[in-house]
Amino acid sequence: MANRKKGASSFHQTRAPLFFLAPNLLIFFIFIIIPAVSGLRMSFYEWSILGGHSFTGISNYQALIGDAMFWKTLGNTLRFVLFVVPLLTASALCIALLVSAEDSSNGLFRGFYYLPTMLSFVIVGITWRWILGDEIGVLNYIIKQTGGESVQWLTLPAMATTSLIFISVWAQTGFYMVMFVGGLQAIPESLFDAASIDGASKWQTFTKIKLPMIRPTMLVVVVLATINSFKAFELIFVLTKGGPGTATKFLVQSIYQVAFEEDRMGYASSMAVILMLVIGVLTMLQFKLNKEYSNE
Amino acid sequence: MKKLFLVVMVMFVSLQAWGTGSQEPADTKEEMKKEVTLSILWFNDGNESEVFMNTIDDYLIANPHVKVDLQLVPFGDYEKRLKLLIAGGTPPDLARVTNNHVAMFADNLVVLDEKVKNLSAVTAGFNKGSLAFATNKAGKLVALPTEATANGMIVNVDAYAKAGIDIREYSKTWTWDQWYDAMKKVVAANDSLEYGLGFDFSPHRWSTLLYEAGGRFVNEEATAMAFDTPEAVDALKFFKKLHDDKLIPASVWMGSENPQELFQAGIVASHIGGSWVINKYDSDIKDFEWAAVNMPKRKIRSSVAGGKFVGVFAGAENEATAIELMLHFSDQKHNAMYCKETLNLSARTDANIIYPSRNEDFNAMAADLAITPAITAKDWKSPELNKIYSYIREQIIEGLLGNQTMEQTAKNIQDKGNTFF
Amino acid sequence: MNKIMQSTIKIILVLLFFFPILWIALSSLKLQSELFTFPLSLLPENPTLENYRSAFKTGNFLLYFKNTTIVAVVSTTITILINTMSGYALSKYIFKGRDTIFFIMIATLMIPLQVILVPIFILEKNLGMLNTLMGIIIPPAATPTGIFLARQYMMTIPNSLIEAARIDGGSEWFIFQRIILPLSKPIIATLAIFSFMWRWNDFLWPFIVIAKQKKYTLQLALANFVGQYDVDWSKLLSMTVISIIPLVIVFLMFQKYFIKGMTSGGVKF
Repeated sequence: MANRKKGASSFHQTRAPLFFLAPNLLIFFIFIIIPAVSGLRMSFYEWSILGGHSFTGISNYQALIGDAMFWKTLGNTLRFVLFVVPLLTASALCIALLVSAEDSSNGLFRGFYYLPTMLSFVIVGITWRWILGDEIGVLNYIIKQTGGESVQWLTLPAMATTSLIFISVWAQTGFYMVMFVGGLQAIPESLFDAASIDGASKWQTFTKIKLPMIRPTMLVVVVLATINSFKAFELIFVLTKGGPGTATKFLVQSIYQVAFEEDRMGYASSMAVILMLVIGVLTMLQFKLNKEYSNE
Repeated sequence: MKKLFLVVMVMFVSLQAWGTGSQEPADTKEEMKKEVTLSILWFNDGNESEVFMNTIDDYLIANPHVKVDLQLVPFGDYEKRLKLLIAGGTPPDLARVTNNHVAMFADNLVVLDEKVKNLSAVTAGFNKGSLAFATNKAGKLVALPTEATANGMIVNVDAYAKAGIDIREYSKTWTWDQWYDAMKKVVAANDSLEYGLGFDFSPHRWSTLLYEAGGRFVNEEATAMAFDTPEAVDALKFFKKLHDDKLIPASVWMGSENPQELFQAGIVASHIGGSWVINKYDSDIKDFEWAAVNMPKRKIRSSVAGGKFVGVFAGAENEATAIELMLHFSDQKHNAMYCKETLNLSARTDANIIYPSRNEDFNAMAADLAITPAITAKDWKSPELNKIYSYIREQIIEGLLGNQTMEQTAKNIQDKGNTFF
Repeated sequence: MNKIMQSTIKIILVLLFFFPILWIALSSLKLQSELFTFPLSLLPENPTLENYRSAFKTGNFLLYFKNTTIVAVVSTTITILINTMSGYALSKYIFKGRDTIFFIMIATLMIPLQVILVPIFILEKNLGMLNTLMGIIIPPAATPTGIFLARQYMMTIPNSLIEAARIDGGSEWFIFQRIILPLSKPIIATLAIFSFMWRWNDFLWPFIVIAKQKKYTLQLALANFVGQYDVDWSKLLSMTVISIIPLVIVFLMFQKYFIKGMTSGGVKF
């Protein structure tokens, strides 16, 4: 089944790792890469789902340059990512620090914080829509009961963006918290014993031991949060439909609209290719920074 | 590890046992004898799928070899699902479609003129407007109408009464200006009431104002947009005025609150929605009296025609059986049964439905529909218009927010629409 | 921060994370006519299980539940196995193209699936996977996220353990199975929690693959309660509550495996 290499202590092998990678690569290749390549091909065509298609070269990409809606939604997306990723990482890490110790109640607390993650985005969306409604929203109702002024949570463009960022963080914190808890729990006890013998303060323990030890986890969290925020779609669509107007319309929603409503598959594919390039470059950058930081 | 493998293997085996349930393609001549499972695509507002199944029950009893696989798809994903199925060459046998879908999928639906003997006898009972919706570009019939839909005005009778307005009388001949005054009064007279009107969040509903103002989306020949007109701007500006004067809550078009829920909660005094909302309110509103009334008049009084249909897809596996079932479901008896149970307006002139309740409200909407001009149907049959549906919504809101003038909004919609002709 | 402060913060956070869900749960005990009556009340006036009854009456609810369970369990099992294998290969071997392969895997995460729905649909059709549960079990089982997590975690496993085993003549598979997997319990637990949840809540793959009602998953059924202009709150809320329960159970089951001090056992075979 696997190849035996007697006594070899070298990790320079090809056959074994390829064997280990095979199942995953096979699935990726068949179900994602092949369709993605046809998607890439489509971006050089004018392509209708029900109608025909004709080769148009790079004209889709040229059209993107002058497409105001594309730039606006790309801008909206970038702004959203810039806010969500740091907030999400920070909140997940702080909460993980609070509940990473194994005691009787922490398991339960983790369960509570993880709950929102278990809801599908559609449910999260309509629930919050209901809570944040101007007129019959629960939150405004409570505010009014306590004598305050009601707030237009989803109706004012600036407020809607803020609400969306908050809800996105709320809905995903539990997910990244679990990753951080895993990372924190994997830190060998002996390190902490040594630190307490040296009389390190809590803060020193955090900066000198915990932070460096969870850097691999941190990388996962930041990269995944970035990719997922770029792809955010369902939650936003259910909450605001991209509104008010186009204030919270992100690139994926734009792609969707162009692909299925306007039936311009080719053009939508070219937008998707650009989106992928942007995410790809940012992800590479994150890996690079991480490498430099840890001087590998 | 070994255990894990074992588990996976067991799972694999058991899954295979469930199998794919694939069918052999049936030969049409033999089809009547063989087991047939019809795939029917359906979307729901309320109880419609249940009623549909009850309505065709007698057919299934009479034809024990026919089984139905009813595939419910949320309306928001419906079009996408149909496009996927058609693009993959596996269309459903029968599907419920809206007038927009008929326009979009006209080339993929079976042309009934070629498949149904004495079609004129079949279509005799339908109202002409609904049939016009169900034709392809060549004027051939590709679907059968089920129900007509209308955009209607529903009012909180008690709230208007508090302001001293007998809304049933007052609304018989009201104009936009009188409507505006009445809303001002009713909001002032009721403490709990915050706004005059909840307006469904869709361009289709908004277009009621457009047609009343004498405007339209697409020109008569259906070759280009005809939206950049003073009439359209008039309708857009009136809509903005209602928002600016706080008669319509911002939270519906700018946020995402549901006007129907606002009406139910007694926050808005009236609601412009679809005819099926009568059904909804009938079961959900317990604490005040409401009624459907005439649309107020601008240049004309109008609703917006629309409808739901059933169609059979070309290349479907069980075409003959599907057509048979479609004819059965659409005949006078079954159509009346279906529309009565779902509280919908029938697309048949001979349905003669006496609804269990709310007859007057249906009549009010039907009366609006009766004087609705044909251009409303022409517009909403346009596949091009359907392609800019979300764009229209976005543009109207940009105008409401004051990010652009309504003249600009009209121009933008005009230009964007024209790129598809 | 002292203990009392910490506990206070924890409890405030519980309110923040739990309140909307509590609202869902309590509202699921209200009839639709009571949902939008003013003044609002947190507690239902006449609590009723009617919504649950009607959700179960919606036909086939148990069948959808069964389908979803099969999909989630089988897919999660596969995910754990193949993702830990990949994570191991990418973290503990040096070979040509390693970083490229890793980056391609992460890149598949960047593709908005919505854009390639049509090619995926046609592919599934050609493979004969339409309307089979396999069609929604296999493709998403290869999760870039899972590989990434496994790789990052396994980087922290000391090489000396592996080297010792190689010197003893253990095969590569033996090392993976007997040394790496036992040491990877925390990450396996994390993967189990995540993967189960993803598959349980997945909408897009089932949407592409499944048309026949017999094969519906819960999410496909749930989505039907959100109409064009209208939400069927009563069924939606009750079904949502029911559909979260297995996720909570899985979470509580697996989270105790975040075991501390994984290397403190040293080398054991």
